[in-house]
Amino acid sequence: MQDLIVLPSINFTEVFNTKNGAIYQSDSENCWYIDFAGKLARFDYRNLLKLKKAVYNIDIEDLLLNSTKAPDLEIIFICACDHCYVLSILEIIALKELLQGTFVMLELNHIIFDRLHRIVA
Amino acid sequence: MKDIIRAKCLLSSDVETLINQQIKKEAHSSAIYLSMASWCSRNGYDFSADYFFKQAEEERMHQLKFYKYVLDMGGTAISPDVTNIKIEYNSFREVFEEALDQEINVTQSIKSIAARCHKEQDYVTLEFLNWFFREQREEEYKARRAVELFDVIGEEGTGRWQIDKHVGQIKYEGEA
Repeated sequence: MQDLIVLPSINFTEVFNTKNGAIYQSDSENCWYIDFAGKLARFDYRNLLKLKKAVYNIDIEDLLLNSTKAPDLEIIFICACDHCYVLSILEIIALKELLQGTFVMLELNHIIFDRLHRIVA
Repeated sequence: MKDIIRAKCLLSSDVETLINQQIKKEAHSSAIYLSMASWCSRNGYDFSADYFFKQAEEERMHQLKFYKYVLDMGGTAISPDVTNIKIEYNSFREVFEEALDQEINVTQSIKSIAARCHKEQDYVTLEFLNWFFREQREEEYKARRAVELFDVIGEEGTGRWQIDKHVGQIKYEGEA
């Protein structure tokens, strides 16, 4: 007998993508899925903001210029979040680009909501 | 696509950051007033010490008001660390001059939050800030009046004793 596992259907909307990854929004779950560095990770509102803060706070210039022998790896660990990223400098730049684009799109979505959907005709 | 971020938080991240900075400023103010109270008490100006204790309480109350507002609007309020609080002052007058400076700084920084809110059309926060503007009117008046006492009464003879006695009686009777 064959077990049939029925997965709940989740609707994703792509928020932003680059050639290195993509971020999707799930309206039904009120969360985002980040497809980056070989995995798909779920982030809720709080964790997405914490990720943004963590990534934006990395001093990329300092990483590039310092001459210490430590490997160029950053561990992005977010409190109370199941995921953690261990990224090289190039990946950090790519993730930052992805997040920046995403937040611009989310802002744009907010503006569109204000102009189109929040109007009572 | 749903506007999830707006549903979670009314404040923009810029306004939230500014209010968190303000929370820190109010905490700092409160700590400075406490330090001033200590200096006054040590130097025999007991009425002024009481005045500064009251001011410290008020600043703490302002801090909490901002703090709760950020939380109520869905933001993240950050409990600040307060460092570099001065312990010694050169003169009785200097204490009050710094107190006035302190209040001016607070007013100016609330004004800059309001400017940002105008830019973003965040009328909700603007309305919230109105209470603080009214409060700052009183705070600045009281601080300015205290410094004025030094000129009006003069520090010669029993002047400082007189000033100390009158500081606690300063009241702002302005229209609401």
